[in-house]
Amino acid sequence: MATSARGGGEGEAAAGGGGGGGAAAEMEVEAYRRLFPVAYFERHLRESVRLDARPLASPRDTSVALGLVGSADGSALVKFGDTTMVAAIKLEVMTPPAESSDEGSVAVEFYMPPICSPTVRPGRSAEVAPVISKQLSDVIMSSGMINLKDLCLINGKASWIAYLDIYCLNADGSLFDAALVSTVAAFTHLEIPLVSVSDDGRVVTVPGELEGKTKLPLVNKDKRKLMLNNVPFSLTCGLHKEHILVDPTAEEESIIETFVTVVLDTLGRVVSVYKPGGSVLAYTSILKECITLAKRRAQQLRNILNESVSAMEVDKSS
Amino acid sequence: MEYVNPLTGFRIDGRRPNEMRQIKGELGVVANADGSALFEMGNTRVIVAVYGPREVQNKSQQSNNQALVRCEYSMANFSTGDRTRRQKGDRRSTEISLVIRQTMEASILTHLMPRSEIDIFVQVLQADGGTRSACINAATLALADAGIPMRDIVTSCSAGYLCSTPLLDLNYVEDSAGGPDVTVGILSKMDKVTLLQMDAKLPMDIFENVMQLAIEGCKAIANYIREVLLENTKQLESRRGG
Repeated sequence: MATSARGGGEGEAAAGGGGGGGAAAEMEVEAYRRLFPVAYFERHLRESVRLDARPLASPRDTSVALGLVGSADGSALVKFGDTTMVAAIKLEVMTPPAESSDEGSVAVEFYMPPICSPTVRPGRSAEVAPVISKQLSDVIMSSGMINLKDLCLINGKASWIAYLDIYCLNADGSLFDAALVSTVAAFTHLEIPLVSVSDDGRVVTVPGELEGKTKLPLVNKDKRKLMLNNVPFSLTCGLHKEHILVDPTAEEESIIETFVTVVLDTLGRVVSVYKPGGSVLAYTSILKECITLAKRRAQQLRNILNESVSAMEVDKSS
Repeated sequence: MEYVNPLTGFRIDGRRPNEMRQIKGELGVVANADGSALFEMGNTRVIVAVYGPREVQNKSQQSNNQALVRCEYSMANFSTGDRTRRQKGDRRSTEISLVIRQTMEASILTHLMPRSEIDIFVQVLQADGGTRSACINAATLALADAGIPMRDIVTSCSAGYLCSTPLLDLNYVEDSAGGPDVTVGILSKMDKVTLLQMDAKLPMDIFENVMQLAIEGCKAIANYIREVLLENTKQLESRRGG
């Protein structure tokens, strides 16, 4: 059983040449992993590693790429290990309601199409999808990341509605965290199209090339990018017995029953804490630990996001 | 509108009439799936994930002597120029799902996997004409990535006829011009046509030319797909240290 302590199925491929017992031992480990997942998992925890050989407090490799979808006004692709999210924003002009005539609006929708996981079958959408949709719109509103007044074009007559669609292309745990990062990245990349008002009062988008040539007044010439204040970043931790595991994968999520999601903003303030039940109780010490881990992760994510923004700007100017 | 410039012979995106858009295929993009592929034809970008062979979800449809092939096609809300909120079961999606399923079923050796189900899920990320073809090409790659036995590589390409010229691989603007649009799917080595769809009117002799052009496009894509698969196999081989 020495091979199991090394952690992760990936190590076994190299063990193929390791003597006559090699193939038989591989079968035993895979079978053990399927038949007794909790025991297999706890064996790893005792050595303070996880199933993919990560230390308990270490998140997966994260990458952010901006501007993936050419047809959208703002888009981003985010990967947390294998979990992949594509977010895209399309802006449309709408008439604002009377009670908020100087505000625009944001509509968030999170989709889990059947390609993302063997457990999602066509005809029955995943249970967590609408939950994450709601969580995302709540966090966007409560963190104050976007000032809805910035989305106003003409007071009382026209404002933007930002349709944010997030598609999960591969679901391997930490879906909410990845979705939130993709939301923030898409809004960072968002470039508001130029508009002008036609003679009959309709608001019309002006494509970039006609910028100097149109006779109609450009309404928002200088407001092309949204100001994002208090950008929220989140971290989901799984709680299993006395261990806290950062950024769980789907396999770990199927074994762990208790999760805590902490959302922090740029000033390190707690925007939201979400712990939907579970057998492990949330003592103050555990919550404080989660918040500390979330702070570290938020800083990491901020750096990754800033790097991808500067990479994109280099591409644009070159 | 001038779809083909009478002086230079170039199309609106600068291609020649018998020139295809730039294609790109990549395997293994969805880690969770048994097989997956990303296929791009110009600005059209499609991801296909294959799950299977696995247990049949609806036991009443299970077949004792062959595998059940299912396909679901969906377009992302941001995939086209205007954002459209698409219903899951709308007519166009159902029709394309059926077309892709039947095209792939012609090639998959279903009798080797009885009482099982193969699911092909198609997600369109960006649509710029030729979505049907891109989906079929991506599905071929994804099925190969999943190791599902097939008779032959299925490839597909579209062609049209505008300004008295047969045009290969129409993009969205050319497609919505209202001219005929012929989509062909072939089994490349066996040289057999498995999918043929056309709308609008065409005289018989011109139709033959357009269809021949589309078939050549399919063959070119088949060569490219073969290279992608070969490259992928070499990489797998070197990773295994064999």
